[in-house]
Amino acid sequence: MKTINYQTLQETLYFEEMDNGLKVYLLPKKGFSKTYGLFSTCFGSIDTTFVPIGENEMLKVPDGIAHFLEHKMFEMEDGDASDGFARLGASTNAFTSSSRTAYLFSTTTHEDECIELLLDFVQDIYLTEENVEKEKGIINQEIGMYDDDPDWRCYFGSIQNLYQNHPVKIDIAGTVDTVREIDKDTLEKCYHTFYHPSNMMLFVVGNIDPQKTMTLIRENQAKKHFEKENQIQRENVDEPQDVDQDELILNMDVVMPKLIVSMKINDILTEPSQKLKRELSMNLLLDLLFAKSSKLYEDWMRQGFINDSFSANFTQERNYSFLQIGGDTQEPEKLRDKIYELIESIDSFEIDEADFQRVQKKNIGILIGVFNSPESIANMFSRYYFEGIMIFDLIDCLASLSLDDVNQLKSLFDKKYLSTCMIKPKENGQ
Amino acid sequence: MKTVYQMQGYTLHLIPTKKFKTMTISLRLQSPLLKETTTLRTLLTFVLIAATKKYPSTKLLASYLDENYGARLSTNVATKGESQVINLYTSFVNDVYLPHQEHLLEKQLQLLSDLFFDPFVENDAFDQTIVELKKKELKERLQVNKDDKFSYSLDKLFEHMGRNQTLGIPSTGYEDKIDEIDGKMLYQYFLKCIKEDEKHIYVVGDVDETIVDVFQQYLKFPENHQDYPSAYTFKSQHPDVLEIIEKQDITQSKLNLGYQIDCDFISEQHYAFTVFNAIFGGFSQSRLFKVVREENSLCYYVSSSYDAFNGIMIVNAGIEAKDYHKTMDLIQQELKAIQDGQIEKRDIDVAKMMLENSLRKTSDEAGSMIALTYNRDITHKVESNDEYIEKLLNVSQEDIIKVAKQVRLDTIFFLTGKDFDENN
Repeated sequence: MKTINYQTLQETLYFEEMDNGLKVYLLPKKGFSKTYGLFSTCFGSIDTTFVPIGENEMLKVPDGIAHFLEHKMFEMEDGDASDGFARLGASTNAFTSSSRTAYLFSTTTHEDECIELLLDFVQDIYLTEENVEKEKGIINQEIGMYDDDPDWRCYFGSIQNLYQNHPVKIDIAGTVDTVREIDKDTLEKCYHTFYHPSNMMLFVVGNIDPQKTMTLIRENQAKKHFEKENQIQRENVDEPQDVDQDELILNMDVVMPKLIVSMKINDILTEPSQKLKRELSMNLLLDLLFAKSSKLYEDWMRQGFINDSFSANFTQERNYSFLQIGGDTQEPEKLRDKIYELIESIDSFEIDEADFQRVQKKNIGILIGVFNSPESIANMFSRYYFEGIMIFDLIDCLASLSLDDVNQLKSLFDKKYLSTCMIKPKENGQ
Repeated sequence: MKTVYQMQGYTLHLIPTKKFKTMTISLRLQSPLLKETTTLRTLLTFVLIAATKKYPSTKLLASYLDENYGARLSTNVATKGESQVINLYTSFVNDVYLPHQEHLLEKQLQLLSDLFFDPFVENDAFDQTIVELKKKELKERLQVNKDDKFSYSLDKLFEHMGRNQTLGIPSTGYEDKIDEIDGKMLYQYFLKCIKEDEKHIYVVGDVDETIVDVFQQYLKFPENHQDYPSAYTFKSQHPDVLEIIEKQDITQSKLNLGYQIDCDFISEQHYAFTVFNAIFGGFSQSRLFKVVREENSLCYYVSSSYDAFNGIMIVNAGIEAKDYHKTMDLIQQELKAIQDGQIEKRDIDVAKMMLENSLRKTSDEAGSMIALTYNRDITHKVESNDEYIEKLLNVSQEDIIKVAKQVRLDTIFFLTGKDFDENN
């Protein structure tokens, strides 16, 4: 077992790779009642075409399958894993993102049993034709819930606008039609390919003794047999530089219009430390441009075409990256034009050193605060982990950034790769 | 160590712990929930943290918070039964995690003091520009809330169920009352709050008794000994079940049910009801989730919640329009089953364990620790977490059946699609 000390944060992290390839990280938290375990696989909604384990040909699977599998994992031959956790006094959940699926428990008691149950239920699959069919009704209601959510529609529409081929444009849950196509056989293929221990990571944080916990996990893993590890082959996405469409207007039964301007970034970095540096610098630049403390926020607020829902976000995942800027607005066209103008003239946006240092301090403070919460630590750890980044390095990296790093990012802004998504109230009779 | 201090005009509660990297301070202002003041009070939460005389704009105040390592400053307003509570919340990094000693505690206390005693006010009125901006912001916030069909349908349930009663008064105010407010009126109301609201301040973090002197130095309110009522048991004013169906252009229908339960936070039966709710619909192991979702695949979410301060229970589910009657039947069947005594001992044990687990978890989150303590403080309930758990564990099957029998459906609010047919 390896021990890593982080001075600034006063935290110690323990690591070991199991014989079967599973990576295990433990973070004891003194004084906490809670223990939180997060078991993640690098399999998300964008993994739709790949070579299944033991086969040679690429397979295209129905959209939404990673999410469907997440729902079905809880079913075990002798009952439901949620009930098992409940009997231990613990709670459990799971979530699927574009590039990951993660299973978790949260408990204040029976920590060892919970860790074993988490490993056991995810490392085994029990599907029947019948239980697969039954899940479709539940998932369709989940899809229906998002259909009526204007924030989600606007957020997701603004991503769909950007991509012609990249599977990030498909909804995480798929559609009612693709969900119908999902069957037991394909689910099992996905499971065996992506839930191999070498493609997974376990993070446990909270009220634990690292030595004892690591031994428990080691012994649990030694009892199980897995196929020989193989390098997963995913299809390379062939994504043109241009956006898919410039504008999408959705009419919904709502009162308040919404707007998101998105910008596709085609310069994709692969080296983890470069990626991290870009992300943290971009967050500073977006704060300087758009945060409550910016000149522009104040001007636009006073002119009335933004309110406090206005925000700007940068996303950088496995092989795609984009910006999203917007919020609720009574004048979506005006806000769109203003954002376009700003991006066009980004080179003339001058940043002074004092402002740079101010937002740098702000971001450092916010990051320190993340380490208060076992859940936030675990979720953030898992998100960065599969990108090759350790979250404990974030603060030092942030502190080392210079104004130059921020200024350089202006070259990524390009009007050519902008797109707009608007939600508008339905007019009568529509 | 003594943790509760009577200060000038407020009660100071210390929750010392070394496990967090930040300090959290929550100032809570309580007054009766009234139709006439709910909108003023909500708007005040927007204007209060928009500026001070020293930082007379959102930009300047936000920049100051940035400089202090992203110190947070926020407000919200919520009801606690018959009361309406403003929560002014600030959190900031403990100096030991920063490269230099920044004295963030003193800086934030000075800021809190300025918000109340040196606000951006001229001629006995809040700055007109800020007030107008915040009026617009509040109006837009209320409109956006309506676009969230889940919270909209829940608000409508409260509106109909609590017509002409406290339950029917929205904690976030009335959209059509916002225009009547100006800077002068709001400032007058603010002065009244400073004088008359019941005030509690909570501090969570690495603190000891010496912090009491710091508070003494920075924060003093006018003396007051108000003690406003909060938790109560809702009593219906209509003899029959009220069924309201509203149609909108939506995909998923939202079913919301409100129940009378003859019990609330301060009743003896509070513990039994808490266990009952956990068995019925409070968790994903509960009956409703098992039957409506897992066995019948009718929904993605279904749950019950016990609103202990209004003394009611709510059930909500997102379903297809055509399943309205079927879902209603299943929910009522499950309630009836518990009333008839069909409860396994195992289910009771699981429910108790889940409740204990979620209570223990609150001690890992500053906001939850404060919320839990506050509920007890405003109802004068003297009870530790261990005593609370003890009381839950002592709830018997008979106690659960007894409170289950008190549960009566009062109001149904069903938000559904345009093509819903009531007679199907």
